[in-house]
Amino acid sequence: MTTAAVPPSVTQLIETFAELPGIGPKTASRLAFFLLRGKSELALRLAEALQGLVNNTHFCSTCYNVTEADPCPICADQLRDQQLVCVIEEPMDLLSLERTDNYHGVYHVLHGALSPLEGIFAEDLRIAELEKRVREGAIREIILATNPTSEGDYTAAYLVQRLKPLGVRVTRLGRGLPVGGDLEYADAVTLSRALESRQDL
Amino acid sequence: MRIRSLSLRQFRTYNRLELDLPAGPILLLGANAQGKTSLLEAIAFLAIGASPLTSVDQQVIHWGAEEASLPFSHVRAEVVRRDCTETLEVAIERKPLSNGHQRMQKSVRIDQRPIRRSNLAGHLNVVLFLPEDLALVHGPPVGRRAYLDNLLSQVYPTYVEVYDAYRHAVSRRNALLRHLRRHGGDPMQLAPLEERIVRTGVTVSLYRQQVIRELTIHIDRLHRELTGGQAWLRLQYEPNFDPVRPPAADQMGLLPEDAEERTLDVEALYTAYREALARKRAQEIDRGMTLVGPHRDEMRFISNERDMGTFGSRGQQRTSVLALHLAELRWLEQTTGESPVLLLDEVLAELDRARRNYLLDLLGNVEQTILATTDAELFPDSFRKRTTTLRVSEGIIIPVETP
Repeated sequence: MTTAAVPPSVTQLIETFAELPGIGPKTASRLAFFLLRGKSELALRLAEALQGLVNNTHFCSTCYNVTEADPCPICADQLRDQQLVCVIEEPMDLLSLERTDNYHGVYHVLHGALSPLEGIFAEDLRIAELEKRVREGAIREIILATNPTSEGDYTAAYLVQRLKPLGVRVTRLGRGLPVGGDLEYADAVTLSRALESRQDL
Repeated sequence: MRIRSLSLRQFRTYNRLELDLPAGPILLLGANAQGKTSLLEAIAFLAIGASPLTSVDQQVIHWGAEEASLPFSHVRAEVVRRDCTETLEVAIERKPLSNGHQRMQKSVRIDQRPIRRSNLAGHLNVVLFLPEDLALVHGPPVGRRAYLDNLLSQVYPTYVEVYDAYRHAVSRRNALLRHLRRHGGDPMQLAPLEERIVRTGVTVSLYRQQVIRELTIHIDRLHRELTGGQAWLRLQYEPNFDPVRPPAADQMGLLPEDAEERTLDVEALYTAYREALARKRAQEIDRGMTLVGPHRDEMRFISNERDMGTFGSRGQQRTSVLALHLAELRWLEQTTGESPVLLLDEVLAELDRARRNYLLDLLGNVEQTILATTDAELFPDSFRKRTTTLRVSEGIIIPVETP
């Protein structure tokens, strides 16, 4: 993308876009030229939004979710159960759980999962902070809601080791069949997990 | 079972191949480097879900296809079994990632339906016999482990899954060990991975132990037949972590001869394995690798109390390999209830007349055999009369009239 036909300021934008997840060189060029084509107003709004993102947001000092206020609105909300903490990998996971409208506790964002092959270890995640929270606060229960992947399972198993000795109740999200799914099409691993975590009725 | 038709796209020498295969013996005739071995490899590829010749899948992609922006390779076969006919497919594609890199993606289908690779097990069974198999006896243990894995992977979906999980856990643990050595950190991070290694590793070991024990029953009889009753042969499993005899007890000679007959207490095995890992932990952190487990297993060929790998003559080693593959044939028949497809690459040239005839006679009882050779003269006329001959030349296959 370093042809003389494209000025450096455009090239730079294209290359920056291309660093974003899910965006390849083609989409990056299309986005850059779209912004260029007389839509200066849109470009400026975008620039402003990006500035705001960098300048106004930080992590909540309690749960490490992205926030503009500290503590974040969820941690500050006295109507929520502050003794119930749901541990998640990414801030995006919080949105999914909030969408259920069925969870009224608070959160703790790890910002990743243990993945030795990608060089992510315990000290790279907000685990010490979680431990501190449990030691200091009156926490009744920790719900581990890491992803059902090998990294997520590994992280959960490690957290159990760290948190259990502190005397807090630690639970894991149930796993099983998707609602509205068909037993016939469930894969063997999911089905066997569902069998393992079956419940008394 | 047999293969009724085979279709290759961009596989090794083959740009495109559509081939109907009859039952009975099939002779692939051609000079070197024309595509005989690749054809056998493609069939084995469908049986195992991976190439038996290389650990790097993308090596099978046709060299011409490398230049395409997204190269792929595709193998498909119609397999006729006793109770059904199925179409098996494996495709390898290079997919672009958003970060500009590319990733190899393998997809497996049966009758057009996508399945996990592990579920390919049991749908097509082959015995592949290559000239370089002599190294199974005298070469490094990694070859013998790969041999066992390929055999077990053909039959047991659970083995494929458990072994993949085991290897994945070991590579994650190794990365963590290196990190602990260089930067320190919480060694408690090892425990969940070790738990995974222990649970999968014990299963891997038990499967291997079982198949070796069952193969030995056949190999002993076959080897005596091949040597005119002169020499017995057995396979000896030497697990790096012994699931039956924990190393300490073994050294002290505490366990009776019939240790293998004892009922297994799996929990006790887990505990012993966990302890073995704990004992080595300091050393493992120091070396940045996992030193205990089935990824370091060994299997030996013992004939008349001598290790054929070290003390066997070339001739003895050759007999050992032949006996191994024939035992594999019997084992597959017994385990799956069907005769596997036999794939023999240039094997006859290395055998003396007596063994060649022994092998050719045996082919009469196998539903389908594919033999690759440069020299049709090795085969007696009586054999060639009941054989379909195909000439292989630069990735093109033409039927030949039998003389």
